[in-house]
Formats: sequence, C-alpha cells, structure tokens
Amino acid sequence: MANLLKWWQTMRISWSRYTAYRLNFFLQVIGPAIVFFFIKYSLWSAIFSQEPHKVIQGYDFQGMINYHVWTLIVGLVAQGHTAMNLSEDIRLGRISTYLIYPFNFWEFHTASFFSFQILQFCIALISLGILLAIGVISSLTLSTLCIGFLFCFYVSLFWYLLQYLTGILGFWLEETWMLRVILQIVAGFLSGAIIPLELYPQKFVAFLNYTPFPYLTYYPVKVFSGDYSHLMQAFLVIAFWIGITFVLNHLVWKKGIKNYTAAGM
Amino acid sequence: MNTIKHYLSVYRKFIETSFAEAASFRLNFVLLILMDIVFYISALATVSFIYDHVSMIGPWNKAQLMFFVSFMLAVDHLHMVILSESFWMLSTDIRTGNLDYTLLKPVHSIFIVFFRYFRASSTLNIFVTWATLIYFGLQANLTTLSWISLPFLVILAFILLAILEIMISTSMFWLTEGLGINFLRMQLQQVSRWPDYIYQRTIKKVFTIAFPILVIGSAPVRFLYDNKLYENILLLIGAIIIFYFLLLKLWDIALRRYDSASS
Amino acid sequence: MIEAINLSKSFTSYKKQDGITGTLKSFFHRVPIKKSAVNQFNLSIKKGEIIGLLGPNGAGKTTLMKMFTGIIVPSEGELLVNGHRPSERSKEFRKKIALVMGQKSQLWWDIPAMDSFSLLQKYYEIPEKEFREKVEYMSTLLGVKDLLHVHVRKLSLGERMKLELMASLLHSPEIIFLDEPTIGLDLVAQENIRNFIKEYHRKNNITIILTSHYMADVQALCDRLVLIFKGTKGYDGPLNDFEKILGTKKSVYFTFKDKTIHDDSYWNELDSTWNEDRTEVEIKLDEQQLRNVSSEILAKFPVIEFHTEKMPIEKVMKTLMANPDIILDHSSQEGEK
Repeated sequence: MANLLKWWQTMRISWSRYTAYRLNFFLQVIGPAIVFFFIKYSLWSAIFSQEPHKVIQGYDFQGMINYHVWTLIVGLVAQGHTAMNLSEDIRLGRISTYLIYPFNFWEFHTASFFSFQILQFCIALISLGILLAIGVISSLTLSTLCIGFLFCFYVSLFWYLLQYLTGILGFWLEETWMLRVILQIVAGFLSGAIIPLELYPQKFVAFLNYTPFPYLTYYPVKVFSGDYSHLMQAFLVIAFWIGITFVLNHLVWKKGIKNYTAAGM
Repeated sequence: MNTIKHYLSVYRKFIETSFAEAASFRLNFVLLILMDIVFYISALATVSFIYDHVSMIGPWNKAQLMFFVSFMLAVDHLHMVILSESFWMLSTDIRTGNLDYTLLKPVHSIFIVFFRYFRASSTLNIFVTWATLIYFGLQANLTTLSWISLPFLVILAFILLAILEIMISTSMFWLTEGLGINFLRMQLQQVSRWPDYIYQRTIKKVFTIAFPILVIGSAPVRFLYDNKLYENILLLIGAIIIFYFLLLKLWDIALRRYDSASS
Repeated sequence: MIEAINLSKSFTSYKKQDGITGTLKSFFHRVPIKKSAVNQFNLSIKKGEIIGLLGPNGAGKTTLMKMFTGIIVPSEGELLVNGHRPSERSKEFRKKIALVMGQKSQLWWDIPAMDSFSLLQKYYEIPEKEFREKVEYMSTLLGVKDLLHVHVRKLSLGERMKLELMASLLHSPEIIFLDEPTIGLDLVAQENIRNFIKEYHRKNNITIILTSHYMADVQALCDRLVLIFKGTKGYDGPLNDFEKILGTKKSVYFTFKDKTIHDDSYWNELDSTWNEDRTEVEIKLDEQQLRNVSSEILAKFPVIEFHTEKMPIEKVMKTLMANPDIILDHSSQEGEK
C-alpha cells in the first residue's frame, strides 16, 4: 500500500514536470507528430492529384489518409516516450540519489512513463476528436477504438523497455541520444509509419515480420481500421520481445550498477 | 582581410579541439556515423519504394526526386558536421549563464556559439553523401554547367539553412527553457526535405517568401535540371542576403534581452 | 578606469497564474513584475586599484560585474569602463578586460587546459612568443606546470581554479573582474590564489574588482571596499576606515576555566559581554586602555587563553549583514558632513 502511494506520488510529480514547460512539451512531443502527418498528407495529396482515382496497393486517397491518421494516433500512444530523463540521470550522476531512496530507479522511471502515457492518451483523444470533427476519419466503432488503444498500450510497454535499454547503456556511453535517434529512424522506417508496408517489396516485408518493427505501427493501425486478423499473432510476437528486452534490461542494469558502484563516481 | 584570417585561425582551433574531444569517446564516434547512414538509407529507400508504384510525383520522375533527396542529404551532412551540435548547447548555455564567457571574447558571438562544435566523426560521411549525389546526378542527366555549379549550390543551400536555423534558435533567449526550439527547428528541416510543389499554395508561399525553408533545396535543384531557370539562383542568393541581415539584427536584439542566469 | 553614474538594472519577469484559465489569461495579458537588482549606483575607480565589492547574496554584486563587462545591458545610467561603453561590446574593449567566475568554468571540460589556452590565444590574437612566456610565467607562479596537459575534468576544484585564472589573464587584460574566485576552495588553495593575484597585481599594475564572501580575501588584497545592499551602495572607502565603522574600540577576549569569575564585580565597570557558558568574556576597550586593562586582568584572574580580534572586518561585515540600516545611516551622515 505504501509502495502504491509512492508510485502515485511519482506519477503526479512527473505529470507536473511534463506539463511545467508546456511549449517545450508541445514542440518536443506533439509538434513532430503533427508535422510528420502534415508532410505525409501533402505528399500523398500531390501524388493522388495527378490521378485522383488511382488505387495503390489497395489504398485510394481516402484510404491512404486514413492510414496516416491512425499512424499519428498510434505514434502518440505507442511510441511517444523517450528515455531522455533516464539517461540524464545516469550521465549526470544523479543515480546516486536513487541508490539511497527507498524507491527503485526502475520504479521511478516506470511511474513517470505511466504518467506520460496518460498525458499522451489525453492528447490522442483530443486529436481524434478534432480529426473526427473535420471528417477525416470515416468508419469508427467504440469496440475497435477500445481494442486499438489497449493494443497500443501493450505495444508501448515494449517501446518503453527498448527506450529504457538505450538509457541504461549510458553506464558505458558518454551520450546515448544517438541510440534513440537510430531507434526512432529505424522504427519509423520499418514499422510502416512513413508509408504502409504494402508498398514495400514483398520479400522485404516477409523479412520484417520476423522483427518487432511492424508491430509498432503497421499492425496497431490495422486494428484501429477494424482488421483484427493478425491480432493474436501480434500479441504473441510482442510478448516474446517484451520478454527478451525485459531480461536484457535486467542484465544490463545489473552489470552497469556494479560498474558504477565500483568506480565510485 | 585580417579579420578573415583571424576567424579562420580561430576556426582551425575549433576543429582541432573538437577532434581532440571526439577522440576520447570512440564508441560515440562510430554511433554518430552509423546514425547518419541509417538516416540516409531510410530517406532514400522511402522515396524509392513510393516510385515502385507511381511513375511521377509532381513534375519529377524517380531519378529526379532521388537526386533532390540526395542534394538535401548533402546539405544536411554539412549541417551535421558544422552546426548541429551547437544548437543543443545553446539552450543550456543560456539557461546556466555559460554564455557569459562567450560574450566576453573579442570574436562575434554568433561565430563562437554556432561554430564552436565541429562534429568530427560525421566528416567521414562526406564520401557517402557525395557518392549518392553523383550517382543520382548521373541518372538525372545533369548538364556540365549543373555539375560545375553543384558543389557551390550545396554550399549556398547550406548557408541559407544555417541562417534560418540560427534565426529560429535566437528565440531561445526569450524562453526559460529553450530546448524545445530545437525540435521546432528539426520539424522545419523535415518540411524542407521535400520538394516545394507537394505543399498547398499558401503554405508553399509562406515557406518561400516569409521564411524561405523551401528555397533551400527546391530552388537550386530546379536550376540544376533546367539551366534556363536562373531566377531560382537569384532567389537563393537574395534570400541569403536578406535573411543574413535580418539575423544580425535579431541577434542584436536577443543579446540586449539576455539576462544571464544570476550567479 | 571605471565611471558609473546612476547605474541601474531591473529585471522583468511575468506573474504566473495557476491553472489552465490562468495560463490562457497570462497568454493574453501578462502582468509584469519588475525587480530592481541595482539601483542608482555611483562608482569611480582609478587605474591600479584593487576594489573589494562586498554584500550579501542577491545584493547585486554579480549584476554589477556583468554590466561592467558588457554581458548585460544597464536599464539606466551611464557607464564607462576604460573609456568604452561596455554594452557596445566593442572588440577593443573585450580585449582589455577579463572576468573570472568562481562558479562557472570557461575551460573546456573534455580537453586539457593547454588546448583551451591555445584556442584563447587565437581568440585574442596573442603573438606566439608572448603567449609562451605568459603561460610559462603564470604556470610557474601557480605551480600548475604538470597540470596543463591533463584533461580538465580530472582536476580538483583548486587546480581548476588556478587554470581558470590563467585562462583569463593570457591576453594581459587591463581590468580584471574576479567574481568569488576562491569559492569552495580549501584554505591552502585560497591562499595560493590570493598570493598569485597579489603578485600579479604588483608586477602588472592592473585594476582589479573582486567580490568574495571570504573576508580573508578582502583583507589580503583590497585597499578599498565598496559595500552593496539591495542594489544600492552602502559604504565606499578605505579598508582601514571600514573596520572602525562600529566604533574605534578594540575587542579582547579572555577565557577562564572557573565559571564563578563571571560573578566578580570587577566586570561591572567594563564594557563586557559573556558567552553562554560564562567561560569567555569579550571586553571592548579604547586603544589607550588596551595594555593596562589587559595586564590587570591577566594578573588578577587565572586566564587560560586570551586573544584580540584577528579580522575586525569580518565582525563588522557580520553585524552589517544582520542590520544593514547601520551602514545606510552611516553613509547618509557622511553625505551631510
């Protein structure tokens, strides 16, 4: 019970930290998602304006825009979080404070992640409301919405664990932001966030299905669009990767903290 | 002339010290190179995949748009090497008051603030970006005049990008926490990485005239495809001159605004 | 060297309102809060002087220093430093001044100090020969020759501070602003820095403005003190006179083992203050009484320890900080004279 209170308090503190610099939060988290969508919208408008009735790999203009609307929502909820604070803690030696607290490092950052997710969920709902109001989204049922968001939260756990891993590599690396940028680029490219995977060469997609990437954006988007055919498979694949990253984080942390305390930084 | 010599000698030191700093973090060195290459591949592959299904985007075919993307990557590479690190330092320097020492030096503060950190590792990627640029340039059948002017246009495009980005960063002086401005800057970069014709008319106008980020790539590349369109070069150079002076003015106002974090 | 007339600086911040409506409100209508950091400050400093600029935290010392160096622009008043207006930040001006801040570093963290020095050499266009000599001279004097090629992040604070000092003197500035140069240093390091500054000043006859919370720094270096309280000038005059602000009497302290000595009627005639344990007494005496009374006490009571005040200015400073009105009254009386 006492521990639950600590979690709750940490979430509240993190919430106010995220919202303290609203402009920053907007520019850092929401802005990129909007600009990304804006560019893709412009690009596909330009492509389809030449042949308005063209269908590319099953996507007409409306379908393509719909796809990208959902990548915007998925991106906010499933891949918004970054481990910047976490790696800062390690790099600036603030980790010593956690070693003294009766509240663990991972607990602190996980609580902070939850708080971030709630914030992102609210933003996603508002965005969704706006998109519905201007009529960009066509078909939507409450059940797909619920399943879609639940699935996104599930995926976000995996994303969080990946981010966490990049953060705690800070025990060895002077800077870890490059890892996160690489992760961002690779995930953006391989998850279907830039263009739907149907447009990729088939062999390449067959290979991608063995990686966790398509499950970060492409499959969640499918779920939101009402296509549940791969839901079970996606669920299991993500579970597998969550398991792997979890164990990896555990091992890396153990080794890192041993190094850290030994060096007496 | 003397001033130029002075600045060049300072810049040589910047490069030397940056190499010395970079050498002490070898793993970072490799990761930075890797990061850029991953970015280049994803940018080029995305366009290539789209052209598997359409023959033209706007007026450009695959080779032309791939060349445009390569052109922007070459500009981005210069940006990566020469400028990018400094933007991230500026917001901290303003907040912590570390800018104080910079302002005392008898060299223009823009020069120290934005050119101090030379990203040594990224220099190696020049082979990657230029190999790509030449490969797609050959596919796009550039004229001799275009080949000759290509390196100069990459540099001019970089100069315009630099001026505009420094202008954006100047807004950090008005904010308590300026880190977010870097993300705004990066978003505008994203917008400029696509040819201007994909954007709606109003947006295209705003980003061509009011804040010409679309001029960076689209203007010079249009000239490279059709050497008769020299007004594009005038547009690029004109934008550089106008915004250079605007930047100096803005920077001056910003410094007057600078409070310097107490103690 | 420095002429400041009615120099003022105020900072504007905006009132932050709570909640979303508050944020919206303040977006459209911001309520400015003006905070005056320096107010109508007058100061005149001659070439070669060492001035101690003292005052409690937040009194405006650093703001003054930053205006003198052109880092921040005054809101009002006139300021000339070495014939230049600092806020214009002309190149010649910047070549003639130096600022050392004890809490900030101008050396680059991840490279040896020598590399930073040679970058500074380029900044200030220092001829190679002069540069070599200067580095040699200062590193010998400070005893840091072995540290020049060590990465700065591996140095101790004291070592780093010595190198920071060197960095700001390489271009032979005519005016040096030292903002708490000894903060956080151990006693030996503090003394090393002080001795270096003293020696450097003796040799080069430069103008030095120093702020410090350590009275030992001030005592050792400054001829003249300027006191600043809440942005206004309190005291400005020679160090010796400052000691006498609270009166010319000297304090002598005696310690006894026996607590009953406190009850002796002898003390009634003297200006005496006892500590809580009734084991130590402070006697305030005029200079001519000092010897007689002291020897009388030594003869009369079993004294186990006695001493006079080591650093009178420290006591004056403490008293003034607790009660700034004393000095503000004092200076207004000065004005009447």
